[in-house]
Amino acid sequence: MAETLLWVLPLIPTVTALLMLTTRDRRVLSALDVSGSAILFALALVLAREVAVGGPRTLGVFRLDDVGLVFLLLLVVLTLAVSIYTVGWLEQALEVGNMKAEFLRSYFALVHAFVATMVVTVLADNLGILWIAMEGTTITSAVLIGYHGHHHGLEAAWKYIIVTTIGISFGLFGTVLIYAAAADVQGGAGAMSWSAIMKIAPTLHPGIVRIGFIFAMVGYGTKAGLAPMHLWLPDAHSQAPTPVSALLSGVLIKCALLGIIRFQTIAAAACGPAFPAQVLLIFGLISVVVATPFILAQRDIKRLLGYHSVEHVGIVALGLGFGGRVGTYGALLHVVNHGITKALAFFAAGTAIARYGSRDMRAIGGLLAVAPIGATLLMLAALSLAGVPPFSIFVSELMVLRAGIGQGHWIAIAIFLSMVVVIFAGLLHHVGVMAFGEPTATASREPEAWFPLAGMLLLAAIMILLGITLPGSFDGILQRATEVIVD
Amino acid sequence: MSEEALHAVIDDLGALLLFTMILIVAAGQIYRAIYAVSAQSLLIALAAAVLATATGNTDLWVIAGVTLAVKAVALPWVLHWIVQRMDIRREIEPVIPIAATLALSVVIVVASFQLTTSLGPVRQAIAGNALPVGISLTLTGVLVMATRKTALTQMVGLFASENGIFFTAMAVTQGMPLIIEIGVILDVILAALVMTILVLRVRSTVDADVADLDRLRG
Repeated sequence: MAETLLWVLPLIPTVTALLMLTTRDRRVLSALDVSGSAILFALALVLAREVAVGGPRTLGVFRLDDVGLVFLLLLVVLTLAVSIYTVGWLEQALEVGNMKAEFLRSYFALVHAFVATMVVTVLADNLGILWIAMEGTTITSAVLIGYHGHHHGLEAAWKYIIVTTIGISFGLFGTVLIYAAAADVQGGAGAMSWSAIMKIAPTLHPGIVRIGFIFAMVGYGTKAGLAPMHLWLPDAHSQAPTPVSALLSGVLIKCALLGIIRFQTIAAAACGPAFPAQVLLIFGLISVVVATPFILAQRDIKRLLGYHSVEHVGIVALGLGFGGRVGTYGALLHVVNHGITKALAFFAAGTAIARYGSRDMRAIGGLLAVAPIGATLLMLAALSLAGVPPFSIFVSELMVLRAGIGQGHWIAIAIFLSMVVVIFAGLLHHVGVMAFGEPTATASREPEAWFPLAGMLLLAAIMILLGITLPGSFDGILQRATEVIVD
Repeated sequence: MSEEALHAVIDDLGALLLFTMILIVAAGQIYRAIYAVSAQSLLIALAAAVLATATGNTDLWVIAGVTLAVKAVALPWVLHWIVQRMDIRREIEPVIPIAATLALSVVIVVASFQLTTSLGPVRQAIAGNALPVGISLTLTGVLVMATRKTALTQMVGLFASENGIFFTAMAVTQGMPLIIEIGVILDVILAALVMTILVLRVRSTVDADVADLDRLRG
């Protein structure tokens, strides 16, 4: 049963995408969108239950263990929220003329094809399949980023496809090198499967694994948006249609992090945990430091959120780099927390942009007066992103910090803390400007639409829940995932 | 074929591959770069055929055929078609002088060989000098992508970079699983397709070349 589901899961968004190509009716498309995501969500929960009870499931090149499960759950929750949000967002976008009714079906079909490729990256056990699916996400999402078809959108799409394709070829080279090392030990059969490599990992030649890990780190790091390979990220996040921005920031860069984790575990077993940890720490620190000035000086709200993703991916890399149980657990929790919160922030920003007709934060003023619920959600998301207790990101950042202190990485901790404090101030300033004060003249005073809010409230509820308490079953998944990575 | 003879042939092919890479880097006209990358893919197909005869791995024949059809003929033909269709007058447009790029690629080649000499035992897992040649081709391809502004030259760099990875992958003793290699080639084709669509859309909607897109900053 559970094994079959491994095959069925990627098929659901694929079939949904194909069905969407058969119709032009907007209502039918929206219905297909929401129901496809809901079915995916339900089946993923069934699978999660099976894996939680009976351990990892394998079928051919697919395998789902607890590490993958963390990312799969994030993926299906965000896909469902995005679908619900899109229903209302689309209405506004069609009115403004941002989306054109005759191209809708290709938009929806591409979104689901994008989701399908991401599902495969999460389920892939074979590192070659992981790479192919990762390049598949680039191909499907590049068109989506340039979807609005104006000058900036196309520029962002071109930059995205070139930078990530360069990056991901490094990832393929890393995969080939790890394969060469594994094939040298046990022969070609199965030498590309992550679970098979992990069994023989301690006997792999450390020299070649080291080079392979660096190539893979640069490759998947590009896709994850780690600095200095993040050049595509702010452009793509700011130019894509808002639901796509939420998927890019919430899920895609997290899938790339899963790729990094796969290679990190191999490298840690073959050449000792210190080497991959060091590489991760360096990339993590660069990301946190590089993102800070851009966050402070930013005027475009979606670019702000994009740079902020660079910072948070850096924090996850730091957590993995500090390592140990606490650091790894914190990093995994941060992946989920940041994914949920950042998608909520993009949703709230998207509705604010639609209301004011501008992405410039100086033009968005007095949001609280014209759209109280949306403004509250935007403020909640921003407070959480800034790391204010009792929200979920505070918890995971604290764990990463504790792991760093426990390992005695004082310099890294000092840099990390000072940057987080600066970003905290900058982010609250930006949001304060948008939420308070007199509404600007350009603001639309229409009452808030119900459907975008439903998607946002779903995410806000999860965000607040994760801050207050961690459900026991989810904690169990995270614990077992930590064990897979650390031991 | 004995192992030494095989290594000698692979090394000779590797030298020719590096030579075509120099042609790509040094190309002052887009046509020359396209022909050079086509010749390079032809050599990759040849290497696959040689390895197939030497190791008896029939999968490699498939790889040789697909590489020949797709990368040596079809993709260069598509690039050629775009050049003619768009009536490109602008040529390579390097960001830094071509001579400087050439010097950098020499550094890359030397560094790759230097890096891999430290890996004694693993060299047995990969035939001949395929590893340093593969690393050089990949990195130089990336260099071409990073230092050229026009879309087509960037695509040529991408193909050269993929060629480097394929060369190393083939020379791994056991050969990569066929399904993976086919998947990778499929991805390259799709990426080229999407890039072509983007180039044409940029041309038709904003009437500019990809090289002129530089508004997004900060």
